[in-house]
Amino acid sequence: MSQQLDAETETTTQTIRESLNQALHEELERDERVLLYGEDVAEYGGLYKISEGLYEEFGEERVFDTPLAETSLGGTAVGAALAGARPVVEIMYADFLPIAGDHLINYAAKMYFNYGDETSVPMVVRSMYGTGDGHGLHHGQSPEAWFMNVPGLKVVMPSTPREYKGLLKGAIRDDDPVIFLENKMRYGESGPVPDEEYTISLCESDVKREGTDATIVAIGGMVYEALEAAERLSEQGIECEIVDPRTISPLDTGPILESVEKTNILVTAQEAPTFGGFGSEVAAQVIDDAFFYLDAPVKRVGAPFTPIPFAENLEEAYQPTADDIESAVIDAIET
Amino acid sequence: MATETEPQTDRETESLTLVQAVQDGLRTEMERDEDVLVMGEDVGKNGGVFRATEGLYDQFGEERVIDTPLAESGIVGTAIGMAAYGLRPVAEMQFMGFIYPAFDQIVSHAARLRTRSRGRFTCPLVVRAPYGGGIRAPEHHSESTEAMFVHQPGLKVVVPSTPADTKGLLTSAIRDPDPVLFLEPKLIYRAFREDVPVDSYEVPLGEAAVRREGSDVSVFTWGAMTRPTLEAADNLADEVDVEVVDLRTLSPLDDDTILDSFKKTGRAAVVHEAPKTGGLAGEITATIQEEALLYQEAPIERITGFDTPFPLYALEDYYLPEAARIEDGIRRAAGF
Repeated sequence: MSQQLDAETETTTQTIRESLNQALHEELERDERVLLYGEDVAEYGGLYKISEGLYEEFGEERVFDTPLAETSLGGTAVGAALAGARPVVEIMYADFLPIAGDHLINYAAKMYFNYGDETSVPMVVRSMYGTGDGHGLHHGQSPEAWFMNVPGLKVVMPSTPREYKGLLKGAIRDDDPVIFLENKMRYGESGPVPDEEYTISLCESDVKREGTDATIVAIGGMVYEALEAAERLSEQGIECEIVDPRTISPLDTGPILESVEKTNILVTAQEAPTFGGFGSEVAAQVIDDAFFYLDAPVKRVGAPFTPIPFAENLEEAYQPTADDIESAVIDAIET
Repeated sequence: MATETEPQTDRETESLTLVQAVQDGLRTEMERDEDVLVMGEDVGKNGGVFRATEGLYDQFGEERVIDTPLAESGIVGTAIGMAAYGLRPVAEMQFMGFIYPAFDQIVSHAARLRTRSRGRFTCPLVVRAPYGGGIRAPEHHSESTEAMFVHQPGLKVVVPSTPADTKGLLTSAIRDPDPVLFLEPKLIYRAFREDVPVDSYEVPLGEAAVRREGSDVSVFTWGAMTRPTLEAADNLADEVDVEVVDLRTLSPLDDDTILDSFKKTGRAAVVHEAPKTGGLAGEITATIQEEALLYQEAPIERITGFDTPFPLYALEDYYLPEAARIEDGIRRAAGF
């Protein structure tokens, strides 16, 4: 499993959109148990063109459109997975995951535990989040915290094109149900993607930038904001280490703790409202396991505790950015 | 703080269990305000699987006590429409484990109606749900998934732990202009009785209650875990002076009471039934360290369920925090 890109690896620059399309293509080709279905994923190629061309290539038995009925998407995926398929369903916007909530929380997550045998539910639910396109309060929220307290579900939130591809392939091959969250504002981000076949294992955090002065744990699209903040802080003489968990649940806390033990400062960054969110769990775990290493309170960067506003100026004010991370790091260091 | 919950001596009271206090709260509000109505599975003719709505159908009739199909999404969706129209519906989810079909209605619609309509509509809706383990129930009947609801802006989440609070908090929830998820600790529905005022009264939302004062360790808990936490505190009385804070409202959290207690003790534990990772104890820990790190003398103990689905009954006594496990956690916080 290639976790890090070494210098000899041949790569091509791809967008996240392209790398996801390639991941789906390769997995559909590799394993005939893999199915892709959802709202407009087939003939239209997906609202964000992630599945473009797959219907033409693999046909309507493997890639098909469904009604706007998220409950049925969740329910049929659990059934298909139990029957031996490897369904990948797309729920257009993570805000609508709760419509499939019962199937995800009561069935997908619990089957393995209920039967106590080899029963597993190898399904992937792809869904989009991401603020900043004026889509208002039902088309952009970050849902990871809803599922972090649900044992049995894995939640994946990649950041770079290489990881989107490797982790999606890893999720499809994983025997447990995976909620795979895609930041719709970042589909156009590009980066090197290995030419050779690879997957990335779930549940492994990755250090995106090394530094000695502060640790930033950033998830999904906020990794880009953290990298930008780190560049600016570097000009001020503050070197940040950025840890990207990539899998939100179960969380690989080892690299986070190691980093905090080195830097003694921790800032978390997420798009979701801070209260009850991912950053709170990270803060609590660091308090549990690295209390004496902290020189300052953990600062949590996240959205205010309101739904996403519709008006452009309010949405801009709502959305956490590199500025917020930068000032949180400075605040923590100056504490 | 706790003063509202203390029944005044000159008031007429009745000795009630927690589930009787639910019924009493519903009845007094329905008598006071004809817009209040109750709906859910078997809440009418049957009186509710836990008897929480017993007698209401006979007293108020089928227009105000409505039996519904087994359709949680439909129950809450209909109730949201009623609330937007001006009624004050109280919808029952028979068990919290079955709330997920209504998850979308609660978080995407009820919680956002005020924002979405720029304040033109509010959603004065109460969703009641018995939650938690310990009653030897089958799968899906024992979980505590408050963490997924407290993260939703626009929704209040309330959990009583005593009969008197139950009636007062339910009354406040019904009168609140915004949606409230009212979680009832079914383990202690009939565990004890308390004098509950006969007349109508409110216990304010968003205010925690200090159940036991102490100076060494603050323990934050709610609902059914309040009793084993108090028991643990009593058992430790000779070694550790424990303060027990019953949060009562989980969103919005009463940060002031939490921080006042913590600044006094410098040590804390949080007790809840839900799995640890991603649970509300993480939020409370993060808030404390952010606001009061300089007072903090030890890591904050999270004494919780385990990171697995709630087990079947043979294992549930191991899964749920009980007094001995809580004592161990408090000792660790005190001795660090």
